[in-house]
Amino acid sequence: MRLSKRSAGATMLAATFVLAASGCSTKAPESSGGGGAAAGGDVATDVGIEGETINLGVLTDLTGVFAALGNDITNANSLFWENNQVCDTYDVTLDVQDTGYVPQQGVSLYSGMQDNVLAMQQTIGSPINTALAPEYESDQIVNFPSAWSKTLTEIPGTGVVGATYDVEIANGYDYLFREGLLQEGDTVGHIYFEGEYGANGVEGSRAVAEARGLELIEAQIKATDQDMSAQITQFNSAGVDLIALTVAPGQTASVATVAAAQGLDVPILGSNPVFAPGLLEGPAAEWLKTHLYVASPVSSFDAHPELLQQYQEAYPDAVPSLGVVVGFGMSELMKQVLDQACENGDLTREGVLNAFNELEEVDTGGLVVPIRGFEVGQSPSLESFILQPADVPGGATVLEEAFEGEFAADIAG
Amino acid sequence: MTQFLSLLLNGISLGALYALIALGFVIIFKSSEVVSFTHGSLLLLGAYSIARLSDAIGFLPAVVVGILITALAAFVIERLIINRLRGAAVISLAIVTIGVDIIILTELIRRIGSDILNVPHPWGGESFRIGSVGLSQNRLIAFIVAALLIALFFVAFKYSNWGIAMRASAEDGETAALMGIRQGRVSALAWVVAGVLAAVAALFLVGSPTPGVSPTAYAVALRAFPAAILGGLDSTGGALVGGLLIGIAEAMAAGYQDQLLFLGRGFSAVVPFIVMIAVLMFRPSGLFGTKELTRV
Repeated sequence: MRLSKRSAGATMLAATFVLAASGCSTKAPESSGGGGAAAGGDVATDVGIEGETINLGVLTDLTGVFAALGNDITNANSLFWENNQVCDTYDVTLDVQDTGYVPQQGVSLYSGMQDNVLAMQQTIGSPINTALAPEYESDQIVNFPSAWSKTLTEIPGTGVVGATYDVEIANGYDYLFREGLLQEGDTVGHIYFEGEYGANGVEGSRAVAEARGLELIEAQIKATDQDMSAQITQFNSAGVDLIALTVAPGQTASVATVAAAQGLDVPILGSNPVFAPGLLEGPAAEWLKTHLYVASPVSSFDAHPELLQQYQEAYPDAVPSLGVVVGFGMSELMKQVLDQACENGDLTREGVLNAFNELEEVDTGGLVVPIRGFEVGQSPSLESFILQPADVPGGATVLEEAFEGEFAADIAG
Repeated sequence: MTQFLSLLLNGISLGALYALIALGFVIIFKSSEVVSFTHGSLLLLGAYSIARLSDAIGFLPAVVVGILITALAAFVIERLIINRLRGAAVISLAIVTIGVDIIILTELIRRIGSDILNVPHPWGGESFRIGSVGLSQNRLIAFIVAALLIALFFVAFKYSNWGIAMRASAEDGETAALMGIRQGRVSALAWVVAGVLAAVAALFLVGSPTPGVSPTAYAVALRAFPAAILGGLDSTGGALVGGLLIGIAEAMAAGYQDQLLFLGRGFSAVVPFIVMIAVLMFRPSGLFGTKELTRV
């Protein structure tokens, strides 16, 4: 009896581990390139280039809290480089490593790839980017993060892909004013995460509130707070005319559900990370489709059906989010940097960093907002798209193409 | 006044769910003297199972299977680990449960990723209104179910054989064993009941007005822990009162954030712990906990 109980227990344990193991087997995307022409003999190179192949690093999250986003961005990076070359000569391979969104893991993985990569195609997460900042700076690494905090613009060589959160949400305000959805002197309730992301977002609200005499009610929450009832009840009794959000999709859903339940029929404005397509399957879907306005550095699939088709052919099982557009956008930016460096005849790390710093008025064909250039401490762009949730692939449609709002220049400095 | 009543209703409904989870802590502690930190992951496991199975087999069967899976997981933890460590120091057992919690949690977070899994509650995001005061139907149903379950538990605890056996074991383990009460069985059943309670709480905690199953749902269990402690870790009635107290305090602190600004932003997150510390300063065994008497 005792034995059989034990063996049953052991079987169960083993089964759990097998299940766990199968969960771990996230397929790391591989990348391969077509044949290229002979490399120009007069291009200087140092680290991360072998023959006609450039090696770029990717520190992403394939198993942690941002796994879905990390997968989408990384798949898009790989797909882009399968079909593109640097100055028609060099193929690009990606060294994809999974940090699990743990900064320490990111630091260790970077030290493993440090001597083999020319630049970083992608580093996910403000904490990991911040942890690696000193090394990126001393190694002269050009890097594209998938976060839009202002502090990231302080790292030389790191190119935030669009406007920083303060500029972004201010552009959202500008849109709402123009559309008559918000008036001077109105009351706004802003819910934001503690930490860099939230702080940067609420700075945008404060600047606009000062410029336009808005009354701002701030509610700071933790990333683990899921129930927004108390905050919305507070906003409701204060009679807010707009709810602004610098949170994650979970809180957005809660805000919409509670606002609908309490009859708080006001627009909701969010920074780009507040939305995920999964929200359209929940009970808040209808409210979000009519009330949520998202200021975003990237366009939606609506405007780029060919991208969606290409992605779905390559990854038929994936449910694409706008992370795919971010991924293509950051790869396009990297291509322009590397093309410029190649044209300058210097594909060394220093040469790539110089090319990055030289870049001005970058156009990615409408994937990402136009980039004015990467200057340390400055928002790389003053523009944002305005998106709204809809039943389309990627979950959002473009309400307004990239534009620079009236507050953007002042906030960006 | 509307704001106050809304916050109060919200706090009570949230508190009822905290009470369910806290009750789980308490009965595990009473039966096996283990301070179990596995509740966060059990809660998430219940929510995850229900969300994943709902599409395939429908909502109600998914709820039943989800609760069974969670109860089974609690049972397996008890049999494979806790039961074998019987007699180990209370603190080692608590740390063992932290380890188990991290293992289960890591796997669940990996599976959920950054997705938000929706549980298709038939009552959806509708709300129930009395005058201008509103409460989501989900929370209203949660409150009723929690009240029924807690009442049922108290009856069982008082009159059923298991309840009597458990109270006897908690009172004096050795004598209870000599009287023929099988403590292993009592403890296993307590874990199963705690698993069921956690899964039921999870079912409602991932419904309106919260967004669905995301990894952060586990954090709720951490707030139920002070509820159990301030009520008295060995008092089932205390768990109920503690849960309600914490729920109301948290809702009020978040809703009146502006009036409490002098205490700093984000005060509501620390309220459960402040209430706990305040209570323990005056009543070290919690509101209803058994005072430890030592003859000298």
